Amino acid sequence: MFKKRKTNPVAVAVALGATLMAGCTSATTSVVKSESSSAHMMVASMESGTLVAASRVSGGQGVNNPPLAALGPVPIPPDNPNTPAKVELGKMLFFEPAVGGDTSTPCSACHEPDQGWAWAEDISRGYPGTVHWRNSQTTVNSAYYPRLFWAGSVPSLEAQAKSAAGGAVAGNAEFDIVEARLALMPEYRKRFNEVFGDEFPLYRNAFRAIAAFERADLVQRDAPIDNYFNGDKDALSEEQKRGMALFNGKANCIECHNGAMATDFDYYNIGVPTLPRWDEDGLAQITYRYEMYAKGSNEEMYKNYKEDPGFYFRDKNVWNKGKFRVPSLRYTMYTAPYMHNGTLMTLEDVVDFYNQGGGNNVFSANKSDLIKPLGLSDEEKEDLVAFLEAFSGDEIEIERPKMPGYAPLFTKAELMMEKK
Amino acid sequence: MGTRRIVKYSAIASAVALGLSVVATTTVAAEHGPVAKIDVNNAKAEIGKRLFFDRRLSGDAGISCSDCHSPDHGFGSKEALSPGYPGNGHFRNAPSLVNTAHKKTWMHDGRLGTNLNDVTREMLTEDYIMNMDMRLMQERVKQDSEYLALYKAAGMNEPSNGSIRKLLPIFMKTLTTRNAPVDNGTMSDSAKRGGAIFDGKGGCNQCHTGALYSDGGRHNTGVPENLDIFLDPMNHQAYLAYGIGMGVENIFNTKRDIGAAVQTHEADGSDRGTFMTPQLRGLKYSAPYMHNGMMATLENVVDFYNQGGGADSNKSNLLQPLRLTSSEKSDLVAYLEALSGDALTGDEFVWSKSFPAEYEVIPNWRQVDNRTRAPIKSTH
Repeated sequence: MFKKRKTNPVAVAVALGATLMAGCTSATTSVVKSESSSAHMMVASMESGTLVAASRVSGGQGVNNPPLAALGPVPIPPDNPNTPAKVELGKMLFFEPAVGGDTSTPCSACHEPDQGWAWAEDISRGYPGTVHWRNSQTTVNSAYYPRLFWAGSVPSLEAQAKSAAGGAVAGNAEFDIVEARLALMPEYRKRFNEVFGDEFPLYRNAFRAIAAFERADLVQRDAPIDNYFNGDKDALSEEQKRGMALFNGKANCIECHNGAMATDFDYYNIGVPTLPRWDEDGLAQITYRYEMYAKGSNEEMYKNYKEDPGFYFRDKNVWNKGKFRVPSLRYTMYTAPYMHNGTLMTLEDVVDFYNQGGGNNVFSANKSDLIKPLGLSDEEKEDLVAFLEAFSGDEIEIERPKMPGYAPLFTKAELMMEKK
Repeated sequence: MGTRRIVKYSAIASAVALGLSVVATTTVAAEHGPVAKIDVNNAKAEIGKRLFFDRRLSGDAGISCSDCHSPDHGFGSKEALSPGYPGNGHFRNAPSLVNTAHKKTWMHDGRLGTNLNDVTREMLTEDYIMNMDMRLMQERVKQDSEYLALYKAAGMNEPSNGSIRKLLPIFMKTLTTRNAPVDNGTMSDSAKRGGAIFDGKGGCNQCHTGALYSDGGRHNTGVPENLDIFLDPMNHQAYLAYGIGMGVENIFNTKRDIGAAVQTHEADGSDRGTFMTPQLRGLKYSAPYMHNGMMATLENVVDFYNQGGGADSNKSNLLQPLRLTSSEKSDLVAYLEALSGDALTGDEFVWSKSFPAEYEVIPNWRQVDNRTRAPIKSTH
C-alpha cells in the first residue's frame, strides 16, 4: 500500500477520505464485502504482485481503497488453460448461431462488437419474441470479474456463457440440440477433438472455449489509464488528471470504483430509478413478471413489485434489495447506456446522477450512505467525464470468423448398407 | 366381421383364449364401433382452441401447435416429416390429433403414457418442438386481455402454466371422429367388401382393433427408413437431440430410427424399428402415412401390406403376403376412407380470428397487481 501511495500521491487523499467514510459502511455491506474479497485479492495480486488488496480492511474499522492501477495479466483458471486453438474455437463459437435455441442468437447477438461488445439499448434485445430485463454488459475485460452478471450470480466466464445461452429471454438453448448441431458440423468435430479430445463436441467444452476467447481477445490493457500508470505521464490530459483528482477525492468515486478494474466487485443500491420502459412496453412487462417468478419471489413480491430486486435473489435478504454489482469503468466509452437497466444514456448523465447524490427507487431504504450530493461545478463534471474516458482505449475490433456449415454425418451409401 | 385374433400373451393365456374362443369372437366383432364423443366445458375448450393456434406458445413465438397439427390435414401435417421448431427439422410425421384424447399412449414410439396434459407439456417444452419455458408462456398469456376475458367467462382465475396445460387437452377432447360412414351406415358396397377383407383375408384387425382401430401396441412392419432424417442435418439434429435426451446409446452412430426401443431398450436390439400401431380414424385427411411419412397414399399402404410389409430383421411375423386382387385392394382403400368422419375444419375447431401483432401494454402498470391487474392495496 505504501508503495502505491508513493507512485500515486492522489491515493493518499483517497485513503484519508475512505477513513472518514468508514463509519457510514453498514454492517450488512461488510458481510458482502468479505465474501467477495478473496476473489478480489486474487485479481489484484495477479495484476501487480503487490499486496494492494490485502490492505483492505472490512468490519467498519476503516476501508483503504486499492488505488486505480494498470490492468495486469488476465487471470486464467488452472482447469481451463488458454491455447491458440481453443481461443480460435471460442471465437467461432462466440459468433455461432447454432448455440442459440432457434439459431438466431449467438453470444454476439447481445454482445455485439460494434456496440461495445454489448447492446446499445436500455435493456438487452433478448431472444426472439422476448426482450431481456437488464442491460447487456460488455464482454471486454469481463475475464477479470470474480463473479458475473449484474447480481454476481455465477462464479466464472464459463458459467456465465452457459447460463446466458440457456435463459428463456437470452439464448433459450438446451444442451442436447446444441450438441446435435455441433456434431453435424465437421469443422467443429475436428476442432473440439483437437482442443478437448471430444469424439463429438460436448456442450460444456463450448463454454470453456468461449471463455478462453474472452480471456485472450476481449481484454484491453492499453487504455490511457493503463499507459499512465505504466509510466507515460502524458497519457492523460491535464483535464483528465484534474478529473482523476476528483475521482479520488471530492467525488469519491474511488470508494467503490477502485483497483485496476475500477470496481470493488461489491453490490450497492445507489438509487438507480426504475426502468421507464416497463410502463410502456408489453413485452418488457412480460419479462419483468417472468424474471420475478423464475428467480423465486414470494407472493407479495410477485404481485406488487415493479422494480428489480437485484442482489436480493442471491440470498433473499431484504437488505439486499436493489443492490447491483459495481461495474468496471473500463471500455465504457463504447457501452452506453449505463447502469443495470440502462436508464442513463451518457457518461455526463452518470456524473450528473452521482453529483445529485444518486437517485431513488422503492428499495431506497437500502441505498448506500456512500452516495451523497457532491457539489461538483460544471467544469469539475467535465473533468470527471474526461477522466472516465481514459478508461477506454481503442475500440476492439476483430475479424469475424467464417462460420462452418452443416454436413450429413453419413452418406446415402452408408445408410443403405445399414442392416435393418 | 372376421374372427381372427392374435393372442400374443403367455401359453396360459393362449389356453384361456382357446377355451373362450366363442366369447372372444363376439368381442372382436364388437370391437370396431363409433368413437365416443367427449363432453367438455365449452368455455374452457374455447380457450384451449385459441391457445392451440397461438404462436406465442413457442419459445421464439414462431410456431403454434397448429403449425404441425393443421386442421386442413386432419390435425396432422402434410409433410412426411414434421416441420419442427425454427432452426431445426424433425424426424417423424406429425400424427393426426383426431381422437388423441382416447389414446392411452402417445407418440410414434409410445414414450408418453400418462395423460394428454403430460403430452402437452412435452410438446411445449421440448427444445426441437416448441422450446417454450412455461414460466414465460404463462406471463405472455397473462398479458393478453382476450385470454383474461376468456378465462373469466370460463369461471377461472388468471392464466397460469398449469391451467394452460389443462385447457389445451380440453380442446383436443373436442377432436373426435363424427359421422364416419363406417359408423352411420352410409358405407358404399365397395367399402363394405373392404371391411370384410380388413377383418378377414387382410388380417388388418390383428393390430388395428377397437373404435380407434389400434391395439395400442408396438410392431415392426418394416417400413422403409426415411433417409431424409439422416441426409438432411436439420432433421438429423432433431433426431440426435431426441436420442441424447432419451439416453439412446451410441446415438451419434445410429443410422436408423430405433422407434419404441427407447421405451424398452432390449439388449439384443430386437425392439428396434418397432412403432406404435396408429389409429386409422383420420386417414382421409392425414396423408402421408407411417411414422416417417414414407407412404403418400392409402393405395401405397395397402400395396405395402399386400406384399407382406417391408424388409426388417425384426419384422413382426404377423405380416405375410396377402395376395389381394386389385379390386380387393381398392375395396380395402374404400373401407379405410370410410373410417374417417367429417373434416374438423369449422369454427368449432379452428381459431380463425387474428392474434394481436404486439403485446398490449398494461397502461397503469405501477398501480396494479401483477397477478390480477387489480389495484394494489398496500405497497411494500
